Amino acid sequence: MSGSLLLFLSYGLLAIFVVAFVVRCVGIARLPVHLRWELAPVPKDSTRGKYGGSYLEEYEWWTKPRKESLSGELAVMGREIFLMKALWDHNRRLWWWSLAFHAGLYLLIAATGLLALGGILSAAGVAGAGAALFGTGLPWVAGAGCVLGGVGTLGLVASRLLRPDLRVMSSRVAYANLLLTLAVFATGAVAVLAAPDFGDRIASYGGALLTADAGAALPAAVAVHVVVALVFLAYLPFSEMMHFAAKFFTYHQVRWDDQPLEAGSRLEREVQALMRQPVTWAAPHVGADGVKTWADLAKREAKP
Amino acid sequence: MSRPLKIRDIGERDQEVLSPVRLEDLPPLPAPYDKLEEQPQWKELSPGAQERMVCNLDGVVALSLPQPQTEEEKQAYVDRFEAGLKKLVSRNDNWTFLKPLMLTADYCMACQTCNEACPVYAMSGHNDVYRPTYRAEVLRRLVRKYTRPGGKLLARVRGEDIDLNWATITRLYELAYRCTMCRRCAQVCPIGLDNGLVTHELRKLFSQELGWAPSELHDKGTMLQLQVGSSTGMSPEVLKDNVEFIDEDISEQTGLDAHTPLDVEGADVLLIHNAGEMLAWPENPGAFAIILNAAGIDWTLSTDEVGYDGVNYGLFYDDIQLARIALRHAETARKLRVNKIVMGECGHEHKSLITIADRVLTGDLAVHRESFLTLLERIVFSGKIAFDPSKNDFPVTLHDPCNIVRNLGIVEPQRRILRFLCPQFREMTPHGVDNYCCGGGSGFAIMSPNNFTDWRVSVSGRMKFKQILDAFADQPGPEVKKYVCAPCSNCKGQIRDMLDYYGALERSGITYGGLAELIVNAMVDVKEPYIQWEMH
Repeated sequence: MSGSLLLFLSYGLLAIFVVAFVVRCVGIARLPVHLRWELAPVPKDSTRGKYGGSYLEEYEWWTKPRKESLSGELAVMGREIFLMKALWDHNRRLWWWSLAFHAGLYLLIAATGLLALGGILSAAGVAGAGAALFGTGLPWVAGAGCVLGGVGTLGLVASRLLRPDLRVMSSRVAYANLLLTLAVFATGAVAVLAAPDFGDRIASYGGALLTADAGAALPAAVAVHVVVALVFLAYLPFSEMMHFAAKFFTYHQVRWDDQPLEAGSRLEREVQALMRQPVTWAAPHVGADGVKTWADLAKREAKP
Repeated sequence: MSRPLKIRDIGERDQEVLSPVRLEDLPPLPAPYDKLEEQPQWKELSPGAQERMVCNLDGVVALSLPQPQTEEEKQAYVDRFEAGLKKLVSRNDNWTFLKPLMLTADYCMACQTCNEACPVYAMSGHNDVYRPTYRAEVLRRLVRKYTRPGGKLLARVRGEDIDLNWATITRLYELAYRCTMCRRCAQVCPIGLDNGLVTHELRKLFSQELGWAPSELHDKGTMLQLQVGSSTGMSPEVLKDNVEFIDEDISEQTGLDAHTPLDVEGADVLLIHNAGEMLAWPENPGAFAIILNAAGIDWTLSTDEVGYDGVNYGLFYDDIQLARIALRHAETARKLRVNKIVMGECGHEHKSLITIADRVLTGDLAVHRESFLTLLERIVFSGKIAFDPSKNDFPVTLHDPCNIVRNLGIVEPQRRILRFLCPQFREMTPHGVDNYCCGGGSGFAIMSPNNFTDWRVSVSGRMKFKQILDAFADQPGPEVKKYVCAPCSNCKGQIRDMLDYYGALERSGITYGGLAELIVNAMVDVKEPYIQWEMH
């Protein structure tokens, strides 16, 4: 594959990823504020979160300061992201494969981090350290990620095929997502094995991306891996695999959002604006006509 | 089950029962309730009833939906469902829950982790149709196919095609009433999605667009409450009579002041009971009166329509009805110029008025609101009332109402009271925020049409009944009287029905009641036992 074609593909696929990712996240963030729907345990309560208690356990809670702690939230998220605690507790059979799958992805992300770090070190004139990262560290981290991730993905595919409860709920796209991820891991493993200078090659590709140097060519195995990984990245925001980003909203903005309404707050103004929206639900008892607002309907007398 | 149930099956063969639930498939209960032949048999639906009503989900009929006369009528409902689906994902019509709904609709990885957390699925013998993921996946596919550009094509490409037809909507309607919305499934979801919310949103679509809702929740529930003042049908005049009767009766029984102040302007506390307590368990509001008077609390009940009934069934099926009732509660407090509203022993009253309605009670309707549990805890440990815990020296276990514990995080106040006043207090397993629903949540406790009582006792309540028996396993016989403390009106109704159904008072010596009754029972000044060992 020519350097210019690879560069063109890379920019295009990366652009799709960035734009789609941002659009999707902004889309969620801009959804209107919802009614409170918290679910215990809310770990940000630093005194009671551990057993699931909330500030509502306080007599006249509105007169007391709420003690919130970021560390409680981070600890729960850390256990969930890196150790898959919910699966460990409630779906152990899937945990083994899911942990391997996600660990593989995290190692690939770490390899990308090493790439960036190596580039920074090289640019800073610490060539030896950069070369060590590219030459030794990066292939090992990427290789380990591909092996772990590949094993995990195969396990997840097998689980979906063999477990009746998973099989009936797995659509074509669920398998397609897994197979695409498997392709990333498999081509990565092949590239690491096929290219003894994998780290340097990837580093030069990274440099070419930054400098728009169309002259940098990659060995076929590495080029295939790069393209497959970028296709995966571009597809990611359109799939359920975006759950890694959605998780921020499900936990922080729904499950753990126990913020009470305060008079004069921005939250109150947002809600009041939402209640001025017209409603069109058609059941007779609602009494909507497309003009009456949510607030009008809430105040409507039910008496005949 | 002859074969695993597929998502597409919901739209096929609309006259057939999709996934029958059978008594013999249910996991056995502990002795002496373990013999299938000794268990009550389920009520048979007559052939006539099956012809008149839609009965195509599991052989149980909770909703008594009449069969339409023509195909055109069926299609009209299907079209309205599709219109409602679009409103469900619109900012104007469904801002109230749009964000959690869209997150749940778009990011499920189908890992099935939530299934075993569901007591209905687990205790049905793993009937596929009760999986939390089943109804959620049906809704997800419908949303993608019918509300998104290119949805029909994408449904085929993704292998997620589904038919929207009479079978689909009628089965979904019944299926929306096979989940108690306890949200245990949401608690275990690795991504933080909420299949309990899917149930809520489906019920809302049916109610707010098609006008379909169980008569117990709508006609005899929110509509009656808004028209007469209470979902019990109790008008303000009848309320006054009942309060007077309870005051006299409880004062005579205990020799203490059980007077209930009515409509006291400027009181510190406006107590709002679930009005069902006045009729079914008058000893509970009576116990509150004794405790609050003995502690010198400045309190009142309202006789304003709606203001004396904390019930808000809108929480279970209809956002508009929920808001209407919550506004009336807040207006009552504003009119009386009280310092705060205190919720009585009613879980869904807590959830609807303390948290769910929090963001619609703006301006001067933002009245302070708190649980009876924090008030009772303060009173019990204030030293204003003398207690003798030995009067409660019998086995006591605690049921955690989902709406108070899992949804509001009020876990410890009730435990501190029970540990202090009940020497033989023991926990169920699991408990606290990991508790199991009583099986009567989301309105089930007041729904008993056709063969639904059999289902909610035998299936949705099965886990709770087993937990109760397990908690008292060290003293299983009827000679030892035992008490299930259920500080929630709906939970009490469900537990009463379960204990009745299995004859648990006679066979195991188990009765039930609220928390306030246990507190009064332990008061030194109460000479005769307040708790009566009988089913009531």
